[in-house]
Amino acid sequence: MTARTTRIIGFVAFAAFVAFVAVLPSFIGDFKAREYSYVGIYLIALLGLNILTGYTGQISLGHGAFMAIGGYTTAILMAGNEQFGGPISGGMKDVWTLPIAGLVAGLVGLAFGIPALRLSGLYLALATFAIAVAMPSTAKRFEEFTGGGSGIQLFGTPELTGSISNVEIFGLSFSPNDWMYYLAWSIALVAFAVAWLILRGRTGRAFRAVRDSEIAAVSSGVSLARYKTLAFAISAAYAGVAGGLFVIASAFINPDAFPVALSIYLLVGIVVGGLGGLSGLVFGAIFIAFLPLWAQGQDLGSLLPDRIIAETQKPGGPAMVYGIVLILLMFAIPNGVGGLFRRIGQLISSRRYSRAK
Amino acid sequence: MRRRFAPIAALATALCAIPVALAGSGADPGVSSTTILIGGTSPLTGPAASYATVARGAQAYFDFINAKGGAAKRKIEYRVVDDAYNPAQTVQAVRRLVEQDNVFAVFNTLGTEANLAIRDYLNQVKVPQLFVASGATTWGRDAAKYPWTIGFQPSYAAEGLVYGQYIAKTQKKAKVGVLFQNDDYGKDLLASLKSGLSRSGSKVVAAEPYQVTSPDVGSQIGKLKASGANVLAIFATPTFAIQAYVFANRLGWRPLIINNAVSATSNTMTLASEGGKNKSIEGTISTTPLKDPLNPRWKKDPGMKQYRAILAKYAKGANPNDANHLYGMAVAYETVGLLKGLGANPTRAGLMARARSIASAKNPFLLPGVSVKTGKGDNFPLQQGQLQRWMKGRWVPFGGLWTSKRN
Repeated sequence: MTARTTRIIGFVAFAAFVAFVAVLPSFIGDFKAREYSYVGIYLIALLGLNILTGYTGQISLGHGAFMAIGGYTTAILMAGNEQFGGPISGGMKDVWTLPIAGLVAGLVGLAFGIPALRLSGLYLALATFAIAVAMPSTAKRFEEFTGGGSGIQLFGTPELTGSISNVEIFGLSFSPNDWMYYLAWSIALVAFAVAWLILRGRTGRAFRAVRDSEIAAVSSGVSLARYKTLAFAISAAYAGVAGGLFVIASAFINPDAFPVALSIYLLVGIVVGGLGGLSGLVFGAIFIAFLPLWAQGQDLGSLLPDRIIAETQKPGGPAMVYGIVLILLMFAIPNGVGGLFRRIGQLISSRRYSRAK
Repeated sequence: MRRRFAPIAALATALCAIPVALAGSGADPGVSSTTILIGGTSPLTGPAASYATVARGAQAYFDFINAKGGAAKRKIEYRVVDDAYNPAQTVQAVRRLVEQDNVFAVFNTLGTEANLAIRDYLNQVKVPQLFVASGATTWGRDAAKYPWTIGFQPSYAAEGLVYGQYIAKTQKKAKVGVLFQNDDYGKDLLASLKSGLSRSGSKVVAAEPYQVTSPDVGSQIGKLKASGANVLAIFATPTFAIQAYVFANRLGWRPLIINNAVSATSNTMTLASEGGKNKSIEGTISTTPLKDPLNPRWKKDPGMKQYRAILAKYAKGANPNDANHLYGMAVAYETVGLLKGLGANPTRAGLMARARSIASAKNPFLLPGVSVKTGKGDNFPLQQGQLQRWMKGRWVPFGGLWTSKRN
């Protein structure tokens, strides 16, 4: 396959996916649309994390914290924090807070990217892990700013679009769940296209050069400082937007909504989706959104044998099933779903060439 | 193409038909002619997974009732979803229970933050948030604003006050150090402990918070010891409470220990005793409205015999000494009582009306004399408890029942 046919196939596949996303809510129940909106939200976070980890080779175990920063930005801009004694009066409509959530998280990412320049590999992973660990406590400490452990309630506030009544927009009427779905997925698809544009050109090549060999990258004139901090900033901005959407979807935020486990799940998501690829990440996002449910014997999980389902209802059961599935998956597709895609592509093209001979 | 969509279309039609089918008899969603579906979240995984046994106990009791024919001629189906003690997951799970599974009521959802996260939603969509498994005062206090929400266990405010009054009465110039979970639950207990101590010679000299997500409370216990406190109040969930005992023992610190009810099951205390090596637990003071599974006094008690029999039959492998099972059964018992009174066409509004006028004096899993009651101006179902002291491997009750008069 030439580069051109690959690209055409890519465009067609993307267009087909957009069409699929657009019509999906008509085929699933109203509530399912809400659950699938979380897939879109996780997809945004995974796209960002993969730019940093998959393409630039900088491991982050702290992306849940960047999501929290975006989430708090959104929640505080909407509901304000005057009721806890903070300075912000809020009142901003939910959708408009999202660019700011991205910007704030991006700036924090940039600020973190600078000291992170001195760290690499495991040390960077630990430093980012530290932000994830510190985030819940920090949010609780600054109670007058974040509302502390009780969090910020957004359900039913005028700033939240469509708490329980339908949303009218562009002459169309959406149920609150469909509205959440289309909001999350339109942003996710734009985020996908933007990530693709960033990665296909000069910047993307520089990212990959940094990942593959820092010494080689520097000797070819790639500025490590510039591209590493840039990757951090972009990646954190993605996480910030995802965090903002997450809070809009949950209509509630408190520090425990962004536990350390979330950061780890995100990393699991890009590994399952395939490091250094974009299309597989949709599966990574599905994995994060639905595996905890499947591991409890719900939805797809209800296909499991009854004996296993009985185990999942016991204390600690879901975590055990989750772990086993993850191990099996890594044995079956060590390069993630994206790696599987690439392998299938290679098989097809090699067969074609061998047939041409 | 058309053939391909046919099964999907059929499935979609079927899904749309479910709510219609459930609506049937003029009763509310979740009620069919043979079943009543209720649901709730519980941490089955994560930092508070030790509470999963509450839901398990309740489930076992419903299974027992169903085997006897159910309540109001219907079987009670109780669907438990894991939220890993993360309120964002609670929101997702509860919306799923309400919007997809069409539960009649959300029941026994565990955790203060988790319930705060879903309270506005459930009150807007008018689905009962029945017997919240958290002792935060707000469930009873704010009943006028949130008519669809009702708690169950004695409020933390009442509990903290009892400890404060106990210290004020029995200790002279006690210096109290407090370990508390940094959320509404811990703060409710701390504030009411202080008000119980007021106008006595005793006072809180140090209060150290910990986060649910933190690995241990070693440094907090170290600081509390350094503060010179001679009474240690543990306002923490079981994992952290056990750690507090372990660290206090390692530091050779032997204060009088107060341990909050949520961590005072015999099971937790036995774990904290480290197989009898840890003596710091001796003399611990706590309170409970429940019968203690380890106390030989209840060996022949019909309620406790029933408890053990139900657990053995419907929750195989469950440890009967874990009193969280007992709490689950006590709350399930009251729920069955409510459902029985709803008649042929149970409605959500009818359920709440009954939940606001409970008069149940004979819950077999609660201590004799402890009654569950609500009524006009009283939205706290349980307001009584028994002080108890941990001696030689079990709780020994002392003094009479206390009754909270604040509400």
